[in-house]
Amino acid sequence: MKRVKNIWTKAVLFVALCLAFPFGMKAQDVSDSFFHIDWQFNVPLNNKFAGVASGWGMNFEGGYYFTEHFGVGAFIAYHTNNEYISMRTIQMTDHSAVTMDQQHSVFQLPFGASLRYRFIPGNMFEPYVALKLGAEYARMSSYYNVYKSKDDDWGFTTSPEVGMTIYPTSNHNFGFHVALYYSYATNKSKVLTYKVDGLNNFGFRLGVTF
Amino acid sequence: MKRFVPILLVLFLFTACEKEPNTDDLDDNFLVYTDYDKTEDFGSFTKFYIPDSILLISDSKEAQYWKDDNALRIIEACVDNMEERGYQRVDKKDQADLGIQMSYVEDTHYFTGYSDPYWWWDYPGYWYPGYWGNWGGWYYPYRVVYSYNVGSLLTELISLEVNETTTNTKKLSVIWDAYMTGLLSSSHRINTELAITAVNQAFIQSPYLKK
Repeated sequence: MKRVKNIWTKAVLFVALCLAFPFGMKAQDVSDSFFHIDWQFNVPLNNKFAGVASGWGMNFEGGYYFTEHFGVGAFIAYHTNNEYISMRTIQMTDHSAVTMDQQHSVFQLPFGASLRYRFIPGNMFEPYVALKLGAEYARMSSYYNVYKSKDDDWGFTTSPEVGMTIYPTSNHNFGFHVALYYSYATNKSKVLTYKVDGLNNFGFRLGVTF
Repeated sequence: MKRFVPILLVLFLFTACEKEPNTDDLDDNFLVYTDYDKTEDFGSFTKFYIPDSILLISDSKEAQYWKDDNALRIIEACVDNMEERGYQRVDKKDQADLGIQMSYVEDTHYFTGYSDPYWWWDYPGYWYPGYWGNWGGWYYPYRVVYSYNVGSLLTELISLEVNETTTNTKKLSVIWDAYMTGLLSSSHRINTELAITAVNQAFIQSPYLKK
């Protein structure tokens, strides 16, 4: 039992050293490009349609540092948020009504260009800030009974982001990526009696970087 | 322009990544849609007539009617609701100022491709206007937007107040209709209960339908 406890103590110390030691240390290489593949968790903010957070999304991003600190790139991401709407009567017009439950769904597909600034090039931990601009395709759908109503729209999107790339090796060929983001898209859609005018989100991304 | 084709292809591929919600979570009850003529005074009617069978709409070229105990229970649910709203059932059509016709769609595929929302008027054996007297056809005073699927029950309320003519030129007004649809189970008893629940819900969401 005591031996097991010692092993745990050593393991915790080892992990702590691995995490702490590289701070302030210069790695051997400074990468001049980046490519991320991330899983993302998206939280709709004040969206009146499919406003439940979910992890049904991914992010792909690549770019090039044209100076040691500044980089430009391109990104594409997708995400789905769903929400169950319990049985209720909806007034469709002033003379028609429908009673049903629904599954609401919003699918977002933003893509475009990104500009980023990294703070400690060549470090094991490379924190950065980024701004993304581009277009967004969004589709809102309502599933009810055996039917589906949907509407899609194109909009403009912008997304500030803070993140960090973590390189466990000195050559920076492979690493991990974490990020926090906020995004806003100008998409407008209408399904049944539900309207969306702008999509606000925040969330985080976890992935790998090359 | 061709340079955008790969981009569009990539976007198209990504749209396939949409995570569709689990529709198994949806309730088993029928969807209930009701519509009515806002200009009609439902309090002006007194007596209604309803046939003792439900028209079955299927692939058959002959008119078929559903008359078993399950059908009678669904009809009875409609009658009970009408009577609770203050209307009186009569046994003769010519004594009624309201007519109720109920239809049940058995086969969705038969109707695939119909774009006219009034296609059921042409169905063989559909409630012909002459059934109610000397009438020239139907009309809806409001826009009809529904379509049909497996397990759909249609209930229509017809105004018989307008005086008949001898020329068959006047049209009967469908002043209220309820469209109830849903997935069916293999149990007739459960399907009947679903239909009865739907009929009751149709009246619940139509509070204007009263004497």
